Amino acid sequence: MKIGIYFCNCGSNISDKISAEAVTEAVLSFPEHPYVTIIGFICSEDGKAEFEESLKRERPDRVVVAACSPRDHESTFRRCMANAGLNPYLMQMVNIREQIAWVTEEPAIATEKAIRAIRGAFFRVRLQEPLEKKQLETCPDALVIGAGPAGMKAALSLAEAGRSVVLVERTPFIGGLPVRFEELFPALECAPCMLEPLMGDLLHGDYAERIELMTMSELVEVTGFYGNFIAKIRQKPRHVSLHDCIGCGECVEACPATSMNEFNSNASLRKAIDFAFAGVLPNAPFLMEEICVRSRGEECRACKDSCPMGEDVINLEEVETIVERRVGSIILATGAGLYDASRVAGIGMGTLPDVYDALQFERMLSSTGPTGGEILTKGGNAPASVAIIHCVGSLDEAHIPYCSGICCQYAFKFNHLIMAKNPETRITHYHRELVLPGKEAQTLYHHAAHNKNSRMKRYDGIKDLKITQDDNGGLNVNAKGEASPVDMVILCPAVIPAEGAGTLSSKLDVSCDSFGFFRELHGRMDAAQSTIKGVYLAGSCQEPMDIRTAMLEGMATVGYTLAGLQPGRMIEIEPISAEVDETHCSGCHLCISVCPYRAISFDTERNVSSINAVLCHGCGTCVAACPSGAITGHHFTNAQIMAEMEGVLK
Amino acid sequence: MTEKPKLAVYWAASCGGCEIAVANLHEKILDLDAALDFMFCPCLLDTKKKDIEALPDKAIAVTLFNGALRTEENVEMANLLRRKSQLLIAFGSCAKGGCIPALANLSTKEDLLSSVYIDNFSVDNPSGITPSGTTSFPEGDIHLPALLERVKHLVQEVDVDYYIPGCPPESHQIWNVIEVILSGDLPPKGSTIGCGNLTVCDDCDRTKEEKRITAFRRNYEFYPEPKVCLLEQGMLCMGIATRNGCGAPCTKANMPCTGCYGAPEGVSDQGAKMVAALGSIMDIGDTTGLSESEIAGRVDSFLATIPDYAGQFYKYTLASSTLGGRVGR
Repeated sequence: MKIGIYFCNCGSNISDKISAEAVTEAVLSFPEHPYVTIIGFICSEDGKAEFEESLKRERPDRVVVAACSPRDHESTFRRCMANAGLNPYLMQMVNIREQIAWVTEEPAIATEKAIRAIRGAFFRVRLQEPLEKKQLETCPDALVIGAGPAGMKAALSLAEAGRSVVLVERTPFIGGLPVRFEELFPALECAPCMLEPLMGDLLHGDYAERIELMTMSELVEVTGFYGNFIAKIRQKPRHVSLHDCIGCGECVEACPATSMNEFNSNASLRKAIDFAFAGVLPNAPFLMEEICVRSRGEECRACKDSCPMGEDVINLEEVETIVERRVGSIILATGAGLYDASRVAGIGMGTLPDVYDALQFERMLSSTGPTGGEILTKGGNAPASVAIIHCVGSLDEAHIPYCSGICCQYAFKFNHLIMAKNPETRITHYHRELVLPGKEAQTLYHHAAHNKNSRMKRYDGIKDLKITQDDNGGLNVNAKGEASPVDMVILCPAVIPAEGAGTLSSKLDVSCDSFGFFRELHGRMDAAQSTIKGVYLAGSCQEPMDIRTAMLEGMATVGYTLAGLQPGRMIEIEPISAEVDETHCSGCHLCISVCPYRAISFDTERNVSSINAVLCHGCGTCVAACPSGAITGHHFTNAQIMAEMEGVLK
Repeated sequence: MTEKPKLAVYWAASCGGCEIAVANLHEKILDLDAALDFMFCPCLLDTKKKDIEALPDKAIAVTLFNGALRTEENVEMANLLRRKSQLLIAFGSCAKGGCIPALANLSTKEDLLSSVYIDNFSVDNPSGITPSGTTSFPEGDIHLPALLERVKHLVQEVDVDYYIPGCPPESHQIWNVIEVILSGDLPPKGSTIGCGNLTVCDDCDRTKEEKRITAFRRNYEFYPEPKVCLLEQGMLCMGIATRNGCGAPCTKANMPCTGCYGAPEGVSDQGAKMVAALGSIMDIGDTTGLSESEIAGRVDSFLATIPDYAGQFYKYTLASSTLGGRVGR
């Protein structure tokens, strides 16, 4: 076997410490007499040309390159191999720069180390096999789950790029949480107005045709893998055609059945057929079967008969359907919710009147909300004093250990909006920490801090705060032995993952962190990628965040989708992957849960595991884990690794 | 009439279970006797060492050598039988990998002798005499074979043609080997024979699913579900890292496999492989936000459910393992 050893001086980076002559002399005594070529900078244009020319002339069976870290130039030298007509995987790199020259004082020792490392590579490369990259056709389209800011942004941008998008939303409307708010921090923009252009484009814009919006829908099952997912989606009956309804509301007037409206935090009534709230998009009501009198067996067609657009708009017989869509990537944008403040003892949530959590108060502030935007106590008066309690359940090992990072900002927004309506209101902020990052957050804070009617009080732990009701029905905030009477209490609870994130995570095998947020592939480098290839994370399903960051993350997922999957372009599959030798697999199932990429499945008919080469990253975890030695890691076989070690130790 | 090929079954440091496995051939032993001249077996026959020494070299067709090498006598017999046999087969886990006798390699010879003959409640030995070759008494000298420094398995002393695993080898597999030998159609030298080339999981008909293990339980602590993989139920079943061919009698009787058939084909160190496999499925819960010492604490409490590393993972293979004798617990 003819082996060529190429030694890079890397200018003086390597040659200062490692003697090319001594290495050459030692290498010539290796079995079968490999040839040695010394090049000044192999990675330079001249160096690459010299390397390629030499490879073409010598036609070696295997090649060792002693140079820098493979992270720097392994791919460069593999391309040189390919250019010279050799299989790139028949080359082994030895890192004699970072691992030897730069970290060894004594040149003689550095040279000896380099000889040993090269000998290891020499014995290893003899066992290396030519490997071929495989190509696979892919679907460029995407499934977006959740039509909040992040999901809408991602869906519309992908549609603009020419991709078809399936946008699945659990509620009957789009816009997520902020569409229910009146004004937003930091700039007090009207939330529905800010989101309207985005929502309008999504529903009726130039690219809307490429977006299939499914409201009242949920993911049931996903099979397949990156580039080729098959998603099953359960669509609950809306009973109103989104295509034909003009949103006139005649049916709402006609409907005889009423119940509390959950989308107004159960603070107002709704009909069985009704809009989620005023101004909602898509501008169409939906029928809640459990409220409709027909659910009690009564015959009623009041809504259907009142519809001016004809017989086909409302379908009382509509049933749940399950549809299947093929997509290449999946974007999770399922958003967040609030920690249930009634789980924090002593602060009156759910037990005392006029104690609201932030979402309830947002609805009260909203002109489409239960009070039409008026701030009113249960008694119907504007409150003379309000307590805003920050950090409810946050920074607390007994509840939620982290800081949600957005609550202080909306709390000071509340201060501003209350003052704007009733300037004489006395407001007290009870906080543990104040967190106001970024260049815009301080404005609302300063506004509150400089307001003569506002006060800040710091508390140590939520146990030190008690909200009580006196005999006259008035509320008191008790802190540090001092009782302050207030008319209204607003709680700012920790931000937690939206309901259902856990179920979704098990359907997709996307892992969650201990708080229930989807776990990112890497917290800083790849925060918008999940641990499963082709499943991306946008918005507050990954961690608490503001709208700006959620929108940016939405765009980040678009970037991943567009960069990874392009129409007509095949994806290349790295051949350094693991493979099961079926004749040695005993079907113990151990490897399956070990794989961090969900690449291993079980063939029950043949009772063996098999590895999907598309999903496999070649990490080798299953190779080490397989107790019967049935899994081989290509390019990292036991024989290759042992040969390298023996070469080094000889 | 041509002479029948000679068969020897010898025991070195062993318990006699391998001989019982041979006896368990039942009526097949008559077939064996018809085909072979079963001429040497200290447990069953009265042939003596001098009779073997008197044979010409290679006079014995097949020797099934069981037991590890603990004493100088074991070594002497291994060399003698090697010389006199055409085929020397390491028969059973002691000869193949050291088995129970090799667990003594966790202690020094001096510690062993001291525990047994000196520092022991039931021994009265004021002059501190231990068996170490020749010991002189007023009545005369007593010769007892001295212990080796370490227990060896057969191939560490002599050339071995084949290996038959098992503690003891299953009788039906012994018969399979006899048949192969009689057929003359032998596999390459050095092969492990009388077994399968998969793992015990293939012989075990319990259902297997994905595995995540939070803690191990021992078999006195609960009644395992009869049809579910024992490892998944938290029993430390070695079946996943053990060569098959036994027919999984242990798991069929609700007992976890202890690994007596040794490492599967292609695996060099059974204990290390088992540790790597368990490390991969050990479930210490979500460690997000935990400090290093908290994570280490969780790993420690998981490991605390494994009472005896060496006895668990190297019960049958310590002499042949990469570790040799160095296992902490």
